[in-house]
Amino acid sequence: MRLTYLLLVGAPLVAALVAALVRPYLRGVGVAGALLSTLSLAAALRLAGQVLAGATPTWGPSDMMRVDALSVLLAVCVSFVAALAAWLGPGLGRDEHYTPAQARRFRIFSSLFAFTMLIAVTANNVAIMWVAVEATTIASALLIPLHVSKASVEASWKYILIGSVGIALAFVGTVLGYFDYVHLAGERESALNWTSLMAAAPSMHPRVMALAFVFIVIGYGTKAGLAPMHTWLPDAHAEAPAPLSAMMSGVLLAVALYAIIRWKVVVDLAVGSALPDRLLLVLGLASLAVAALSLVGQRQYKRLLAYSSIEHTGLMCVGLGLGPLGAFAALLHLVNHAVAKGMMFLLSGRILDRYHTTEMGEVSGLLRAMPVTGGLFAAGMLALAGLPPFGIFFSKLSLVRAGFATGHPWLMALVLVLLLAAVVAMLAQINRMLYGAPPAGVRVGESNRWGLVPLVLCAALLVAFGLGGFGAFQTLLDRAVEIVSR
Amino acid sequence: MDSAFGQLTVLGSSLVLLCGLTLLWRRGSAAHIGAFAAQSVALAATAGLIAVVTGSRELWVVAVILLGLKGILMPILLKRMDRRFGSPRELEPYVNTATSLVIGGLLVVLAYIVTWPILDVSRLPTRAGMPLAMGLIFVSLFVIISRKKALTQVIGFLALENGIALLAMLGTYGIPFIVEVGVFLDALMGFLVMQIVIYRIQETFESIDVEQLNRLSQ
Amino acid sequence: MPLPTGYTVAIAQTALALFLAPGLVGLIRWLKARLQNRRGAPVWQPYLELRKLFAKEVVVSSNASWLFRVAPFVVFASTVAVAFLVPVLAVPSPFDPVGDLLVVVYLLLLGTFFLALAGLDPGSAFGGMGSSREMTVAALSEPTVALAIFALALGAGSTNLGQIVARTMADPAAAVSPGYLLAFGALFVVTLAENGRLPVDNPATHLELTMIHEAMILEYSGRYLALIEWAAWLKVLLFFSLLGNLFVPWGVATVLTPSALGWALATLLAKLVVLAVVLAVFETRVAKLRLFRVPELLAVSFVLAVLAITVSFLVR
Repeated sequence: MRLTYLLLVGAPLVAALVAALVRPYLRGVGVAGALLSTLSLAAALRLAGQVLAGATPTWGPSDMMRVDALSVLLAVCVSFVAALAAWLGPGLGRDEHYTPAQARRFRIFSSLFAFTMLIAVTANNVAIMWVAVEATTIASALLIPLHVSKASVEASWKYILIGSVGIALAFVGTVLGYFDYVHLAGERESALNWTSLMAAAPSMHPRVMALAFVFIVIGYGTKAGLAPMHTWLPDAHAEAPAPLSAMMSGVLLAVALYAIIRWKVVVDLAVGSALPDRLLLVLGLASLAVAALSLVGQRQYKRLLAYSSIEHTGLMCVGLGLGPLGAFAALLHLVNHAVAKGMMFLLSGRILDRYHTTEMGEVSGLLRAMPVTGGLFAAGMLALAGLPPFGIFFSKLSLVRAGFATGHPWLMALVLVLLLAAVVAMLAQINRMLYGAPPAGVRVGESNRWGLVPLVLCAALLVAFGLGGFGAFQTLLDRAVEIVSR
Repeated sequence: MDSAFGQLTVLGSSLVLLCGLTLLWRRGSAAHIGAFAAQSVALAATAGLIAVVTGSRELWVVAVILLGLKGILMPILLKRMDRRFGSPRELEPYVNTATSLVIGGLLVVLAYIVTWPILDVSRLPTRAGMPLAMGLIFVSLFVIISRKKALTQVIGFLALENGIALLAMLGTYGIPFIVEVGVFLDALMGFLVMQIVIYRIQETFESIDVEQLNRLSQ
Repeated sequence: MPLPTGYTVAIAQTALALFLAPGLVGLIRWLKARLQNRRGAPVWQPYLELRKLFAKEVVVSSNASWLFRVAPFVVFASTVAVAFLVPVLAVPSPFDPVGDLLVVVYLLLLGTFFLALAGLDPGSAFGGMGSSREMTVAALSEPTVALAIFALALGAGSTNLGQIVARTMADPAAAVSPGYLLAFGALFVVTLAENGRLPVDNPATHLELTMIHEAMILEYSGRYLALIEWAAWLKVLLFFSLLGNLFVPWGVATVLTPSALGWALATLLAKLVVLAVVLAVFETRVAKLRLFRVPELLAVSFVLAVLAITVSFLVR
């Protein structure tokens, strides 16, 4: 099991090192990186199997790292999207769009990015989790301006400044939690372990933990893109290169939400779930509202996808505030969203490469110019909009049921209205992009056919999740929900 | 709270907070960098004081790192950045100085209200300084929001980190060593990356006035 | 019977303050001259100025009203009233029941208010300009005086100045507490502002456009001017007494015996000389602030006072 874990986190780290050491950039480095990411994914799946068999292994001095059902669920998502980005990122094929130097930078930092995210989700020590989340900001900030332009530089500045400030606030929350623990049980090495916090939670001081949770939610919520701390997200996710956006939208937001979930379980025990639930509901609803309203006037498809990420993160947040059934909906949504958003951003990268524009008004005739890409894009939009048979439909359904079960009927009505607005906005735009004739000068026919294979796989997964998923996946999900709703 | 140790730590914390308020008062990057350097030195001195009284070796190391990294190295790097990209013209902040100072004072009062439950819990002699640390956190957040120069925003962020370090020191005599090391590394890396991004900003925009960063507004 | 002695001491204390005030200002001027490598007028020059002014004829503008003639007396009287309430020499004073912080602040403000009106009364442009500037400064500095002393009052449990002094004497460690130090900083800046010293206002300037206090009294002459100048100098001495006796109260007489009073006199002189030196050095070092920067400085002292209160609040 230790070996599996080392493969999981070590593979991306080795990929980054290889890319850093090999100058000038060679295509083999990219291939090596992609293979290593697949290895990481395989390790994640194997760990998932072991966790399903009942193990919750821990490693490291004073049990710093620990894997349970929730961790492994997220680890699988992270490694899956990272593998997608690695296989479809610059530096593998005959790219005219990126110079070798840019491809090298991409390989180094995207692997580091994956590494830090994996550490974050498998850390038992909440401070290590914090350090890893901060490191994700650093690793990704340098990649956003891969194509240097005024817009991308502006986006990366906002990202790093707002992200770092948010993370710093999350650290205040961590310090306050540590403070409370130490005053209960004295200083020790394992004081910042999540397991220790869970054990001590019932006897912690409610007001201190409540204050700590407020800082945690605002801090990690900034990284997750919750309103009103979301202002960096549309810029950063739209200006970043497509594979990076896929990772950021698909899994980084999920990792930040994971951090909130870990703390929420502790605080629920210390304070009772009324305050945390209410806080998450408010922020989730605010994010939904902001996203739904902003989606209506969007003109660029990457920004559209970015605001959609805010919408979905808001939904997940609402779900987390609705008890066990809501937690199930949120986690199911998380997995589906990771796959769907990853696929969509990678597809948007292909569209950008072909059409050379990010304006939706200038993209038309997608189904004719790139049939498979267009078809997948449409499928992805339908999935994100929450239509059956895709998995997001079921997670939204569960969310609404959870809302009614916990006595928030009016809230659910509001959520449905906002979702409807978002769906209509997105589908109207996509129609314009899909049909009609492609503009002059745009080549017709798919290029880089092999690059489509992983994306088709994503679409298939989305449908599979919708049609009932895999048994093992369901069990894993149930176990994770158990952890969240203790 | 009558012990000399408690009084001295509160004095140190007040100095740290006052340096933070100086960020709101003085204009010009040179004054800001000087205030940040003084703040880090005061923070290192407070850490040293707590280390002496509690006999904690780890805190000594923290004090030395604070002094070297934030008291000496970062101000040098910041001054170098300022010489390279500093605009000789002082940029008017979004909120004028007198109002900023009054808001800063109110934020400190708010910090006292927010930290009230923590003071009930803690039994350490250093607890009286915790509201000041929280006040510094709020004031630094305000500096980041209301200043227009990218360099000042970075200094505000570094002051925020100082505030958090102070809070940890006063509340729990520091955090576990391995975490402290991780935090320092993160801080250093973050700072270097911010430097790189500011360099890029200067290259593409020919100024580090963040009001120019308004192309993405939808 | 202590009460007659108490009144005697109080009156003697005020008389002493009136007597020392010109000498204090003379000392400050002499020290500044020496620091600037000049010989400077002798320390007793202000006394000669007062004598000269009292002998001179009063010239009143034809546009002036009764306010112009009344103002110097109001200003002088209010400042003398403050002298009765501030613990210059001794703490147990018969005026203790009214020796409250707020009364002191209001009396100071009364003087400022009338002086500002008097600046406007003759209708000269410089007078009006000085008055408006003075009001800007007063708007921020008066609350700061109240807040800074209130920070000390929190510790003493009463806003009575005598009580505050007594409490600090009883608890020496409090004198170096951060609340006290912050309040001292705030009060020092306010001393500069209220008394028209650098960096807020240059008392020796001849340029009308840079004046604040001087501009308001440009139209005054003869004994009116003498009264106003004397009141201003008395204000300097009273603020110094506040700074000295509230923060470093040792030496202030707690019993009204001749030896205690003698000792109090000696320590008072010592504190005044020390503060005079500090002020002279400080004024020589700093340059005058541009007018629109003065509110910033006063905002700093206001925030220091607010901080002093919040810090003291928790130390209780």
